[in-house]
Amino acid sequence: MRIELRDIHVTLADRPVLTEVGLSFREGEQVAILGPSGAGKTTLLRVIVGAVAPQRGAVLVDGIDPHASRAALTMLRRSIGCVRQRDDLVRGVTARTNILASVAYQWRLRDWGSVLLGNVPRRYRDRLAEVTMRYEIAEVLAAPVERLSGGQRQRVAVARAVFGRPRLLLADESTSGLDPVRATRALDDLQYGGATLIATTHDLRIAQRFPRVIALRDGAVVFDGGFTGPADLRRIYGDDTGTETVA
Amino acid sequence: MIRPPRSRPRWSTPLLLVVIAAGVWSLAETGVGSASLLAGWEGAAKMIGGLLPPDLDPELLRQLGTAALETVQISIASLILGAAFGLPLAVLIAGNIEAPRWLSGLARLAATTLRSVHELLWALIFVATVGLGPTAGVYAIGLHSAGVIAKLCSEQLEAVDPAPVEAMRITGGSRVTCALLGVVPQARANIASQLLYQWECNIRSSVVVGFVGGGGIGEALGISLRLFRYQELATLLCAVLLIVAAVDQISRLIRARVGATTYAIPGTGRRSLLILGRRT
Repeated sequence: MRIELRDIHVTLADRPVLTEVGLSFREGEQVAILGPSGAGKTTLLRVIVGAVAPQRGAVLVDGIDPHASRAALTMLRRSIGCVRQRDDLVRGVTARTNILASVAYQWRLRDWGSVLLGNVPRRYRDRLAEVTMRYEIAEVLAAPVERLSGGQRQRVAVARAVFGRPRLLLADESTSGLDPVRATRALDDLQYGGATLIATTHDLRIAQRFPRVIALRDGAVVFDGGFTGPADLRRIYGDDTGTETVA
Repeated sequence: MIRPPRSRPRWSTPLLLVVIAAGVWSLAETGVGSASLLAGWEGAAKMIGGLLPPDLDPELLRQLGTAALETVQISIASLILGAAFGLPLAVLIAGNIEAPRWLSGLARLAATTLRSVHELLWALIFVATVGLGPTAGVYAIGLHSAGVIAKLCSEQLEAVDPAPVEAMRITGGSRVTCALLGVVPQARANIASQLLYQWECNIRSSVVVGFVGGGGIGEALGISLRLFRYQELATLLCAVLLIVAAVDQISRLIRARVGATTYAIPGTGRRSLLILGRRT
């Protein structure tokens, strides 16, 4: 999925959150958006999914403005998979139902009946088996999500995000709160596939694993490119060299 | 920094005086006081004396069994009726479901209307239209509970964690999808608890509605009271207590089973709903 952001300005509660942001993402590209809390990372993702309309500028997804019509927005959103810091799984239902719910817009009446009765519609069985095996969640599929561990929930959340084969995968601080081993594992899970991946993080170690890093500070892009070494730190962090984050 | 002590607002003393004056005035005007208690004491003593011993005549006990069963039937049937009307209204009213504004407004108006009319008034209307008996009681209690269920369950729906619902919405979930797969599952255990509580209320209401011809044990109570058969009345009152206690216990067991149970808030003596998830 190709995404183009042209001169995006967003002000929320009289505070500029994004200023003069111009970026483009190629089909299949994997990009980390790096920045401290309040830098505008999440707002940038929300602009891409059409949840926040910019006061100025344009968003084009495959050449179409998602803010132009409801139909365009729905089409875009159905091509997106999303994982956030909080796993966003629905409590009170099983991991399997959470995963299947990601493609509920495709369901026919029969599928609704099948899922609500706790079964897997026939046409999703192969894909569910594939995703289950890839993310090693077979043993937790039938469990209610509130009984899963943090790592299991994160894997189920990633499985849910990729289940419908999205063309764009958004990860908003999805590795925050995970220990380094789990964070690496979660990142590998996200990068597997081939969808365009945009992941926000405040952790340089995570960002370094992406071929392209975009750094935001106070709502503006301060770095865009491959991270090559300590020389880039000054550009990313300004006077603060980011040693705390690297350590 | 030490904050200066907050001074009492200037209007607080006059307001307190107005509240006290309103309380004293209301008690005096309605005749509440030692004089009325003393005046009623003789009648109360006669009645209490007349209750003992309760009448244990086998024929009465047989009729009591039938009436008690009818009371339970009224409570269950009215709960079904109330849930059938109330739950869809709750879904339409809940703000996070985002039903069309006109539909949501209509649902809110319907729920308010059903709730505002007391069961007793509904019962008088239905006794006049469908006649004496349990059917009138079921309609009366069912309609009122529909309004109550709509209000309480819509609040349960609105109280769910919004993050999973938003995640569904930004990945293309429709309103129906978000409602059925995002909002309702999160509120399900608490809605079940709310329905069980409504069942307990319906049992109590069915006794009251019976007084005006709505069937069940309340109808028998009304007849005994009007004919001054106090020993019979005592037996019926004991039966009502047993039914209410049994329903409370069954309701508590089911509530614990579905994952939402009541617990005491430490140090307050109050009870609160503890919300837990449930496996499906």
